Amino acid sequence: MNISLIIASIALLAAAALTTSRAIRRGTIGDRAVAMDALTSIITCGLLVATALTEDAWFLDLALVLGLLAFLTSVAVARFIERRGL
Amino acid sequence: MNAVLNVATVVLILIGAIVALIAAVGVVLLRDARSAMHAATKPATLSVLLIGAGTVLQLDSLSTVSKLIVIVILQFVTAPVGAHMLSRGITSDTDSSDDNYD
Repeated sequence: MNISLIIASIALLAAAALTTSRAIRRGTIGDRAVAMDALTSIITCGLLVATALTEDAWFLDLALVLGLLAFLTSVAVARFIERRGL
Repeated sequence: MNAVLNVATVVLILIGAIVALIAAVGVVLLRDARSAMHAATKPATLSVLLIGAGTVLQLDSLSTVSKLIVIVILQFVTAPVGAHMLSRGITSDTDSSDDNYD
């Protein structure tokens, strides 16, 4: 079971790397905001896998705070794009 | 019983991780921001649900389980709303200046 969860963690790590490369490499602020939105949901998935792997409960607190901050960030960036037109 | 739970956990978490990986490939390959959002918003709900369902089978205390349920419900409420607001911002932006694609 542990080895399969580690494989899942590696897949999530590759997904995070791909998304980060999109956020760094190209485009408007909208492209980067979309990529960062996807990155936060992938990090939430990674925290849940870490919970299943180690059975430590404090990863769940991190996931909760990260979910709230991701929502706040995407709403703030959306308002910013809508108003300023970047 | 324990072995059955372990197998279910592994299957759910692996499916969720593969969905997230495919979505990340889509985020890299699709060019327009709105097309990339089509790929990016799938793992925000689907893989969080799958991986959360896999993780909840391994937990034994009620407080941890309820915290994880709160996380999944919060993600299901906030992720579509945030993506919708982001797409509205991007759409109003690209409509005002037409050649903003890539």
